[in-house]
Amino acid sequence: MKEQSNNTTTILMVGNPNVGKSALFNRLTGANAVVSNYPGTTVDYTAGTLIEDHRTYEIIDVPGTYSLKPRDAAEMVAVRMLDEHRDATVLVVLDATKIERGLYLALEVFERGIPCIVALNMTDAAHDKQIAVDAAGLQRILGVPVIATTAISGEGVKHLADMIRKAQAADISAIRSRLNGQEQNRRSMAGCGGCSGCGGCR
Amino acid sequence: MQKKVSDLEYGESGIVREILASQHDLSCLGIRRNKHLKMITRQPIKGPVVVIVDEMEVAMGIEIAAQVVVEIA
Amino acid sequence: MGLTADERWDIIDAITQRTVGTGTYRRTLGDALGDLTIQPLTGIPVALGVLYAFWSIFGSFAGSLVTDGFMVKLFDSSWLPWLQAAWPNPDSILYYLFVGDPAADNCFEAFGALTSGLFVAIGVVLPAVLIFYLMMTVLEDSGYLPRLAVLMDTVLHKIGLHGYAIVPAILGLGCNVPAVTATRILETRKQRFIMMSLLAIFIPCGAQLGVMLEVIPETVGLVMLYLIIGFGIFGFVLDRLIPGSNPEILIDVPPYRWPAWENVTRKLWSRTKGFLKEAVPFVLLGVLIVNVLYLTGVIAALADLFAPLFVTWFGVPKETVGPLVAGFLRKDLAVAQLSTIAMTPYQMITSVVLVSIYFPCVATFVVMLREGWRELLAAIAVLIAVVFIYGGLIHAIGILMGVA
Ligand SMILES: Nc1nc2c(ncn2[C@@H]2O[C@H](COP(=O)(O)OP(=O)(O)OP(=O)(O)O)[C@@H](O)[C@H]2O)c(=O)[nH]1
Ligand SMILES: [Mg+2]
Repeated sequence: MKEQSNNTTTILMVGNPNVGKSALFNRLTGANAVVSNYPGTTVDYTAGTLIEDHRTYEIIDVPGTYSLKPRDAAEMVAVRMLDEHRDATVLVVLDATKIERGLYLALEVFERGIPCIVALNMTDAAHDKQIAVDAAGLQRILGVPVIATTAISGEGVKHLADMIRKAQAADISAIRSRLNGQEQNRRSMAGCGGCSGCGGCR
Repeated sequence: MQKKVSDLEYGESGIVREILASQHDLSCLGIRRNKHLKMITRQPIKGPVVVIVDEMEVAMGIEIAAQVVVEIA
Repeated sequence: MGLTADERWDIIDAITQRTVGTGTYRRTLGDALGDLTIQPLTGIPVALGVLYAFWSIFGSFAGSLVTDGFMVKLFDSSWLPWLQAAWPNPDSILYYLFVGDPAADNCFEAFGALTSGLFVAIGVVLPAVLIFYLMMTVLEDSGYLPRLAVLMDTVLHKIGLHGYAIVPAILGLGCNVPAVTATRILETRKQRFIMMSLLAIFIPCGAQLGVMLEVIPETVGLVMLYLIIGFGIFGFVLDRLIPGSNPEILIDVPPYRWPAWENVTRKLWSRTKGFLKEAVPFVLLGVLIVNVLYLTGVIAALADLFAPLFVTWFGVPKETVGPLVAGFLRKDLAVAQLSTIAMTPYQMITSVVLVSIYFPCVATFVVMLREGWRELLAAIAVLIAVVFIYGGLIHAIGILMGVA
């Protein structure tokens, strides 16, 4: 633990446009990134720092993108950041009301074998729309921590910050076999299914 | 009956059957085969078409809309 | 490794089947409003209304209420006389640079860094950008911009862009700097280049708008009209000249949301802070530099050099060269300076349009460079052609109408 306290981990925030990445980024780092209600607000990257439990994280807010096949120059920045920070951890931000398209990007990121953690944002909006997303179930299937958040009120952000250290690489074939209902691979799941912060997975 | 999204009447809806172009971009916005799609409005003079899929609103140019085929009940 | 798109969607469908439950969706007031503002029959009148409201609130708050009602009194009857009395030795160079004309009775004409400079920056532009950014934040946070983009799509397609170009255009009315970077949301290089050029040439920033409202309240509408027409004409021409494609619009239209008070104040504060930190020093520095150039005779020489172009081609007095030099640093300052030169109303319109279009301010220039030097060079070439052609055209229109 102690020897880790000096080196910084880079966290890239990746997600579809307008899912609340910048709002979450501001909450995590106290920065002042622009937050607006239209896709394509962020067109360049911004870095900020989060110190949590004696660990320092450099968090980078990047433009939103629908996939790793960029459509415009802003999306290109997001993909470039992923390519440039090969040793980074990725914080995948999903909009709980638009989960399918978010998962597409999440899978593309997972396939790169990067350590990931998922923030399931806009839970308040999902609740209003009567959309119920089972975060624990999602975590069990994906094999990476999934934390429900509401960036505008700050709900879940503390928990998210606390869980960043548990980020881990997802395994697509394991996801597939879990979906097929096969017996889960206990080793890679250890300490993660239904995680309440025991710390066993790292 | 099958219709292109560009030919849908206001408020008409159907199930997406075929996407002939821009498939990747459209599916990333939620427009995929077997999804229920409802046309909200179309702007005059070949302007964009606005549709709702899964309670999400998407606006697309008329030529893209002409590449999406829906089955009307 | 390397799933196909279809494989990914299959996995996603399986995941959502297990983890997402949807109840019956109830339409909200926001949804109804969303429909009304995107359907052409209701949406276009609403858009015009929004635009009108925006402009009139901007004008009455910034121009009449704060600047005329408070700042002018403060600066002209307290600050200026006090400074003129307190600063020693009216004949010194320092007095000329910082206080300006010892006989001046208002802060526009004195033209010292601490008189005109401070007055323009704090008295005129600060209230203008404050109210502008407040209204822009409401537009941004409510979710109206994507709907406006859909409504504007057909028109913008005629000039090589698509509806979403409205986003950099509106950001540009606040400040061209973030707007240049915002052109990245357009898909092709052609679209980005056209938007960036038109932005740098025809879209005045909030600071400049604020000064225009203050110094030429009766004719600012005509200036804007000339800028909008120029935007259209040259967009149309560029679309035909520049190779490349203009893909159609394909965007997500987010639901309306109430702007969160916290976010509105946060944005307002950080933008205002940015203005105070970056723009105000530039305005003061601008006044100083221009004063030094006047003192050393550089501006007089430039005025004589460019006199034929200015007087015969553009139809404006050769003294307008001075403000144009100031415009390299700050457009707001340049317009303020123009207002002190004696000329006819039509010459004023022409020269204000010229100040807007002739060159982006340094800050804009620098961000354009960051987006690519080739684009920047090409944009400058376009710009020179536009200034020459459009400036002459406006003069010709004035001659035809018998006002120039
Ligand atoms: N209701 C609700 N709104 C949210 C939440 N998080 C963010 N928002 C709003 O969603 C909009 C988008 O937020 P941003 O943070 O700008 O989104 P982004 O992901 O950075 O978007 P891009 O920069 O365009 O990729 C803003 O209007 C936020 O106020 C949330 O948890 N709940
Ligand atoms: Mg953002």
